[in-house]
This record gives sequence, C-alpha cells and structure tokens, in this order.
Amino acid sequence: MSNATTLTAEKKGIWGGGRSPFSVSYGKLMMWVFLLSDAFTFSSLLVAYGFIRYSFHGNTVTPWPSPDHVFNHFPFLHGMHLPLMFVSLMTFILIFSSVTMVLAVEAGHRMAKKEVANYMLLTILGGIGFLSCQAWEWTQFITGTHEGKELFNGIIMHGANLHSNEYGPTAFGDLFFIVTGFHGFHVFSGVMINITIYLNVVAGTYEKRGHYEMVEKVGLYWHFVDLVWVFVFTFYYLI
Amino acid sequence: MEHTEHLEHTEPPKDMKAQIWKTFWILLGFTIVDIGLYFILPSNMGKNILFIFLGVVKAYFIVGVFMHMKFERKWLPYLIVTPMVLVIYLITLMIIEGGYTSFVR
Repeated sequence: MSNATTLTAEKKGIWGGGRSPFSVSYGKLMMWVFLLSDAFTFSSLLVAYGFIRYSFHGNTVTPWPSPDHVFNHFPFLHGMHLPLMFVSLMTFILIFSSVTMVLAVEAGHRMAKKEVANYMLLTILGGIGFLSCQAWEWTQFITGTHEGKELFNGIIMHGANLHSNEYGPTAFGDLFFIVTGFHGFHVFSGVMINITIYLNVVAGTYEKRGHYEMVEKVGLYWHFVDLVWVFVFTFYYLI
Repeated sequence: MEHTEHLEHTEPPKDMKAQIWKTFWILLGFTIVDIGLYFILPSNMGKNILFIFLGVVKAYFIVGVFMHMKFERKWLPYLIVTPMVLVIYLITLMIIEGGYTSFVR
C-alpha cells in the first residue's frame, strides 16, 4: 500500500510520465525540433562563411570585398553611394512582418477571426515585399557595375556568376548566392504556408476547430525566418 | 485533440500587445545601432564580436517574446538553447581557425 502511494507521488514529477514535460502540444514541440534542425543547416552555412571569410584575412592578392562598396545601391537613386541602406530597409520589412504575425497569433488567442485574417494578410504582403527587395538586390549583384573588372585573361567581368565576379574572390559570390538564396527560399516557403493558413482562417477552419494553434505554429516558422535574417544581415553585411 | 485538453497551457500575459510593440521598437533600435556602429567603429575583430553579441541580443527578443519562449516551461528553452550555444562557440572557433588558414597560405 505504501509502495503504491510513493509511485503516485513520483508520477507527479515533471519527467514522471503521464503528461508533457514541456507543456506544449505535440505539433508545437515538433515545430520547435524542426526549427532547431533548420538552425543547424543555417549554422553550417554561417560556419563556412566565417571560415572562408577569415581565410582571406590579410590577403592582398584577392582581398575580400568590403560590403559597403558592393551593396550600395538603392532603387530610383541611380549612381549614389548609399551603403547598407537598402538592406536595412529589407531588415525593417521583415521585422515588421514578424510583428504583424505575432499580432495575428495574439488575435487568435482571443478567437477574433477577422483580426487574425487581416494580420495574416499584412504578414503575407510583408513577405512578398521582402522577396521583391531580394530579387532587386540579386539583379543588382548579378548585373554589376558599368565599369566591371578585368580578369586575368583580359575579359572584362560585369557582375557575378558562380564562376567569377567583379567584386572579389569566387567564394564571395558563391556564398552570397547560397546564404541569401537559401534564406530567400525559406521566406518563399513561409509566404506559401502563410497563404494556406490565411485561406483556412477566412474559410473558418480554425473557428470550427475551436483554437488557432495552426497560426501559432506557422508563426514560429515565420519568426525563425526573421531570426535567421538577423544573423545573415550581421554576418554578410556588417562583418 | 483529446490529449491537448489536459495540458496546463502557459497563458500569454495580459498586456501582450504592448509587449509586442515594445519588442518591435527595441529591435528597430538595435538595427539602427548596428548600422551606426558599422560606420563609426574601425574594422577589427572586436567590432565583429560586438556585432555577433548584438545579433544574439536581438535573437533573445525575437525568440523570447515573438516566439513565446519566455512564457514556456523552462525545459523547452533548455532543449532549444543549449545546442545553439554550442553552435555559436563553433562559429567563433571556425572564424579563428580561418585566420590561421590565411596565415598558412
């Protein structure tokens, strides 16, 4: 008899079984685990960036370019030297779409269907805005400057491709394409998922289900994309 | 859906909306500080470490408030944050190692 009582007492511990030690639903916990694994993928890219970037430290033959001489363009302001301004605008758009996302989650807790739908729509627009900015940035990077740079074989190189670029080492262009491209692909997937959830919200799927947990789950994904951009911005444009 | 019912849900605080906007202004402020420091400070390793530190501070606010981590039971933050601390250590090590590679070249 006393044995049985100690057993039930033990079961009340966090890891005693019979309940979730994390106190979140299965779906949300799995979203966190997925985000952790995705964070590892991005970390591997940033590790590669940090290593290659600093293996060019002090290299005077093929120096690593300074970001404020590469990313200094702004739409409609042709020929002006405006370093980092456009990428700051992109950062601002993504942070703001993160805010509208979390406001949608907050409205979901209050079961305010119309508000959730409106905030989701704003988030989608923010995501599309960010992607458009990135498309412009890539176009600038690939097209390059008017002067270009003469390569060792006498060909004048404008802009960048995967084999060479006018800014610096080949690895600079390649890392730009893979890091911002992989992040941009995440933003694109996020926009697609957000559109799906938005349509479900409008159709009243979650109203019928009785909770807006799906909005919270895609919210986690969307904030993660924002979080990764914070580090891509730090590593690629500031360091 | 049955099993979700006896989860003791960690409720968000009452003033969640105010907290969201506060976090937005903090993030915006840190981004502006980032850009300001980029032009003011000379380029060296200390500046890079400062930028990574500011990135981690921004990450704290995004994960804590936007992703609700601050209001979850403590085991979830432990589960997610512990591997990422080790990853940041790895990034630091590889930047240093990259410097040696440049020296050997």
